[in-house]
Amino acid sequence: MDAVFKALADASRRELLDRLRAENGQTLGELCARLDMTRQAVSKHLVILEEANLVATVRRGREKLHYLNPVPIHEIAERWIGKFERGRLQALSDMKQALEARDE
Amino acid sequence: MIDISTFKPKTVYVIYIAAAPEKVWQALTDPALSPHYFHGCRLEIEPKVGGDFVARFPDGRVNVKGKVVEWSPPRRLATTWLVEWVPELREFPPCLVTYDIAPAGEAVKLTMTESYSWDVPDALLAGGRGGWPAILSSLKSVLETGKPLGITLEPPRGMMEVVKDLAATKPWLKTL
Repeated sequence: MDAVFKALADASRRELLDRLRAENGQTLGELCARLDMTRQAVSKHLVILEEANLVATVRRGREKLHYLNPVPIHEIAERWIGKFERGRLQALSDMKQALEARDE
Repeated sequence: MIDISTFKPKTVYVIYIAAAPEKVWQALTDPALSPHYFHGCRLEIEPKVGGDFVARFPDGRVNVKGKVVEWSPPRRLATTWLVEWVPELREFPPCLVTYDIAPAGEAVKLTMTESYSWDVPDALLAGGRGGWPAILSSLKSVLETGKPLGITLEPPRGMMEVVKDLAATKPWLKTL
């Protein structure tokens, strides 16, 4: 679990996870093309994310595809969010989204 | 048999489980164990390539059905998936669900891959994305502690509207 929190404690790595959430299964090249980071930096961040099991990779022919793996985050949520709290938290989150959308 | 080389992975989930590969394989294939982690569903799998695969709700209704594409105990299990319980989804092309079991030190690295032969929209994938982490975490809990997690889930909001729209337009009929 330490590895997950360490991996998430970096804005560039969270940005990479956001990019995979928007479009899953990207190659290193595709990820680099849309980010203001060097290939080496992206590659290094992906290793840390993969070691924390937040990114899963699949080899497809000569390509290595990267996928967001939310399983460790789900395990963290399961540890601290009880099944009776989930509905109320969802309601609060929906309310926040609705109110903030109206302000835009 | 379907040509699996045309399928592209769309969702890939990995979980580490402190158990032997044979135990993980047994949990994935034993109908008596699956209700403890698969939202109460009983998974019946004919142990051979081309065999039938059925996931039943506790009342016996069919949730998902398909065929076994790969049966390589205790390393790799692949089946096609046709969701039956939603009438509109019965018309959809099958997706492919693959489990890879790889030893990782004292533990096992279990990779679940959901692959599609067509350009499936994100809103449809959201169904699996909500369900799989809960199934995999519960499977881990059953294998490591003997106890399931007891998570209940509903389809994500907006998903059924997307399903109806896709059933009407059938985008998989367009060549990729």
